[in-house]
Amino acid sequence: MRLLTEATEWSDETAEPMLEQGSDSMVMQPLSEWVPESGNGLALEVDDEPTSQFCQAPLITINFPVFTDGRGLSLAVLLRTRYDFTGELRAVGDVHQDLLHYMRRCGFDSYVLPEHRQLPAADNRQPFSPYTDYYQASVIQPEPAFRRVPRGA
Amino acid sequence: MYRYDTFDRRFVSERVEHYRAQTQRYLAGELAEDEFLQLRLRNGLYVQRLAPMLRVAVPYGTLSSDQLRTLAHIARDFDRGYGHLSTRQNVQYNWPELAEVPDILQALAEVDMHAIQTSGNCIRNVTTDEFAGVAADETIDPRPYCELMRQWSTAHPEFDWLPRKFKIAVSGAATDRAATLVHDIGLKVYRDNQGAVQFDFSVGGGLGRTPVIAETIRTGLDIEHLLTYLEAIMRVYNRYGRRDNKYKARIKILVRAMGATSFREQVDAEWAHLKDGPSTLTDEEIARMESHFVPPAYHEHTEDLSALGAQRLSSPEFGRWVAQNVSAHKQTGYAVVTLSTKVAGIPPGDVTDLQMEAVADWADRFGFGEIRISHEQNFVLPDVPIASLWELWQEAQAQELAESNVGLLGNIICCPGGDYCSLANAKSIPVAEAIQREIADADYLHDLGPIDLNISGCMNACGHHHVGNIGILGVDKKGQEFYQISLGGHSGHSGLDASLGQIVGPSCSRADVTSVIGKILDVFVEQRQPEEAFIHCFKRIGIEPFKERIYASAD
Ligand code: SF4
Repeated sequence: MRLLTEATEWSDETAEPMLEQGSDSMVMQPLSEWVPESGNGLALEVDDEPTSQFCQAPLITINFPVFTDGRGLSLAVLLRTRYDFTGELRAVGDVHQDLLHYMRRCGFDSYVLPEHRQLPAADNRQPFSPYTDYYQASVIQPEPAFRRVPRGA
Repeated sequence: MYRYDTFDRRFVSERVEHYRAQTQRYLAGELAEDEFLQLRLRNGLYVQRLAPMLRVAVPYGTLSSDQLRTLAHIARDFDRGYGHLSTRQNVQYNWPELAEVPDILQALAEVDMHAIQTSGNCIRNVTTDEFAGVAADETIDPRPYCELMRQWSTAHPEFDWLPRKFKIAVSGAATDRAATLVHDIGLKVYRDNQGAVQFDFSVGGGLGRTPVIAETIRTGLDIEHLLTYLEAIMRVYNRYGRRDNKYKARIKILVRAMGATSFREQVDAEWAHLKDGPSTLTDEEIARMESHFVPPAYHEHTEDLSALGAQRLSSPEFGRWVAQNVSAHKQTGYAVVTLSTKVAGIPPGDVTDLQMEAVADWADRFGFGEIRISHEQNFVLPDVPIASLWELWQEAQAQELAESNVGLLGNIICCPGGDYCSLANAKSIPVAEAIQREIADADYLHDLGPIDLNISGCMNACGHHHVGNIGILGVDKKGQEFYQISLGGHSGHSGLDASLGQIVGPSCSRADVTSVIGKILDVFVEQRQPEEAFIHCFKRIGIEPFKERIYASAD
């Protein structure tokens, strides 16, 4: 498994993601065992209900049971936009390299890619931002295009 | 119609290159089959029984003559010279090569078209009234709002990986030609007393194995809230829709499990956080979209219909075509023409490259270069001067696009079925053909009056059989193809509420389908009051007389 992180703040949409290999040593606990003041990381499943206490976690992981399970995307958006979680938000489980750009736009800033999945050899940054711009708002770009970009030209 | 700007063009061409790279990685063995599947679906590519099938988006069924010419070129260069008009107003190719699909997508991008999100568990092409913008009974043209939703839903970061596919339909007319109440979200758009644009939201309608009529959860929503309210619905569905069983994963199952009232409460609770946020539409953005759909520069035409009257008298065939295939237009002197693809011996909705080019030319000569595709799988020319109907009819005859059967039994809606589709229980095209051949007498068909006949090859109901006045569903009985017949379905047009058909009884073999249809029509003809439509007759007499006749000999 490789850990991919962005060296920059998740809220800085212009920053290029930086890829790092390795793992870290934080103690992770599932929601049923996690104590907000413990300083431990919180390991969420995609169907866990978020609360404002989660803000106290230094790191939250969301476990994708299969890469097509979009619940983890909504959970990430809620953590970032409703509960103002500013710590590290990491996608784990069945993470797919071709979905990293969705995850990034939903507020994830680190990803654990399973061993059998590879970033494209040609350009390993491309999966994070394959498009110059998008129509709708996202966690990293809260304004939709129609509020930012002169359209019609 | 909507014209791309540089933003749209850049996005669509980047999407082509993105998908091209994914295809190359797949072909090089770097992407597993089931992983690539999810990516190709979101770019329109299915793998069917015989070959891949590419579904091209025709946003809300509107396209330009140049776009249609490109579709004809693609049919010729990459396929076997034809394409298929789908029941969701899209165009499908049945024989593309997987490796060539990126080139097809590039050809589409050059005329501002794409195949994004035409399959897969994501928000699909928004559909609407094929007569949008020109129908005499329209209160407001829904297409600007369809385009707003197209852009909002394209590569949405949060809602591209839903429990199941998601279909939105919009109607802005008195008659609901978009069957909005059998969609995941059905929208009715209108103006309030002050002239402000508002929406009614219905959710949880659908066909498939659990047909349901949608429940209305909000009325009178102001236009600026359109996207935030949609996001609230999508978030509730994305989080709580079932993912353990694909047959229970549509939003209709969630709405039913929660109850419409508590579903609405959840949506409202979510919306409270999103309302008035940055995704709230601005007046400029709404005005920009509306400006793309202003009516064309119509010419002054006289209201004098005497020439048309004389032409109709001189040719009863032309008269029939005008009666069935020509609809009232908002603008004096113009008409809306439906070019039927339903000719016996040709699969419903199949059109050749040459037919597409002919239709594109007519759209330029007899209109303003615009074409529609209807969910009944026909072409529509929206702006034909009444004075040109005769000429158009003659040319359409030469292209086998002048069958005067719109609204009649011959205008069968039919999915690709077992000839093409790997999910099918039974073939559907040969059933349509047998019925068309058996009941071919034009006078008889006209005397029968309006009857919608819909055929699906399996429970997925792509032929919308539940809302056919007569519905035919392919079922599998111990490996044999059988057909279940239902009666009394209605998609919600001609002033009736949408309703689902009732099954008449045990299914029948393919050989017996036409005789069962014949018996149904016999009962109708015997019981019918003067000028009564089939659906009204059915609602008056009920299913019993039909049952008795169909199963009489079996006792
Ligand atoms: S209804 Fe069934 S057979 Fe027909 S196209 Fe849809 S999935 Fe295929």
